[in-house]
Amino acid sequence: MRALVAPMCLALAACATAPAPADPELSSLGKHEVTAELVEIPGPFPANDLYNYAFVFKYRVRQVHRGSVPAGEILVGHYNPRKARAAAADEESGKIGGRLEQFRAGDVHRMALEEPLDHHWIGGIIDKYFEQKGTRYWAVWTNPASR
Amino acid sequence: MRLILWWSVLAAAGMAASPPGAALDRDAVALQREIAAKGWIVYSAITDRGDWDLFRSRPDGSERQNLTRTAETHEVGGRFSPDGRRVLFRRIAKDTKFNHDRWGAMGQLVIANADGTNPVAKGAAGDYPWASWSPDGRQVACLTKTGIEIRDLASGRVTRTLDRRGIYQQLFWSPDGRWFTGTANTYGENWTVIRIHAETGEANPVHTFQNCTPDWSPDSKRIVFSSRPANQGDDEGLSQAAGQKPEYGWTQLLIADGDGANRMLVYGEDGRHIYGGALSPDGRYVLFTRAARDGGMADATIHLMRLRDAPIVGGVSAALRKRYPQAKRGPVAPVAMGWEPHWSSGPAAGSK
Repeated sequence: MRALVAPMCLALAACATAPAPADPELSSLGKHEVTAELVEIPGPFPANDLYNYAFVFKYRVRQVHRGSVPAGEILVGHYNPRKARAAAADEESGKIGGRLEQFRAGDVHRMALEEPLDHHWIGGIIDKYFEQKGTRYWAVWTNPASR
Repeated sequence: MRLILWWSVLAAAGMAASPPGAALDRDAVALQREIAAKGWIVYSAITDRGDWDLFRSRPDGSERQNLTRTAETHEVGGRFSPDGRRVLFRRIAKDTKFNHDRWGAMGQLVIANADGTNPVAKGAAGDYPWASWSPDGRQVACLTKTGIEIRDLASGRVTRTLDRRGIYQQLFWSPDGRWFTGTANTYGENWTVIRIHAETGEANPVHTFQNCTPDWSPDSKRIVFSSRPANQGDDEGLSQAAGQKPEYGWTQLLIADGDGANRMLVYGEDGRHIYGGALSPDGRYVLFTRAARDGGMADATIHLMRLRDAPIVGGVSAALRKRYPQAKRGPVAPVAMGWEPHWSSGPAAGSK
């Protein structure tokens, strides 16, 4: 039994650390490309069956791959976050997408970003950080990344 | 006879079960007579062909004329110019899916004579988004992602820009030219109706939390808008019947000063969403649309009341009456099946 478990553990570890497949959208869309940890989802997502909106999340930047994003915490707006990224785009949002299925605090994402948010999305924005000044980024492409 | 016919139409549309249909008593008939000659209104309505055309009628719904008659396109969002001689609207391809709060940025801007003749498209589809007349009718204010653009209609040039302060739909320039209003993301809420000073760009909230479709009073001092408050109470199964969650609530028509003071209910009705408030040129009457489902357009009906009779609570509305025990029950007069009305007293609005 031990002989079986050990290879399985090795296989799982290998999966967890394997680099994500290259994604040309990530490396070409938006001004910036970062890996960042989703620190906080400030409240429940409203329904978007009738109205579309962007929801602003707090991230902690781990690595800047392209462009210039300050170290530390940043605020990023995601379009209709109830939906998997691959299913979120519509005629209102313009081109957005990615492989992320679900938003969970503590997860790490690799994202292509634009700024400022309101130059890329004209519609409802739920920004619970409204008392904090500074840039709101617009998430164009969002993939899961390893922790 | 005309009133009886209208009552039949509304009854057939399922409106007869609740006032304002029931308010078509002597008071409502008197109200219709009172306003019948007070200018013209323009609105969108669905035709027998299934598309949306632009219609013009007297404020009581009489003398109705189809201004566009286009089977291939929808026409929505009609607004008379300040002098009443022209009308602007959006022309949207028939296969385009549009809804009640995105129409202003869709399709082409078209400007025609007030009787619908000589329609001239301005720019391509998506240009001149949410175009709103300047007081002299020579410019329009447009709402773009990067800000509010003032555009000269003759040349098409952008003559001025200012920060949109979070406004994302339903931009309207005040009749005196000093202000803008619109639906905005601000103060931590989306769906906040705000006012922006046209020169300084300073903004103030008019009402936060679930508001939209603002429009100006003729003196530019007040704003009529729709609002869906939280915690509206037990609506006795109306939400379930409409397919919405019990806590969703019903959208009501409110009015407030431009700085948000003196806010009051104009019209509300449990079981109906009230949108598209539009004041008469003399500021004494208000038009609104009434729909069974939020965002519902095809079943929307336009109604009319005196502002001095506000607040009025229509239908049974047990929960709303509890909150506004002094509210009147009418009179409210039905005008037409339709949506997003606008009213003008302009001298040429009624002439070909």
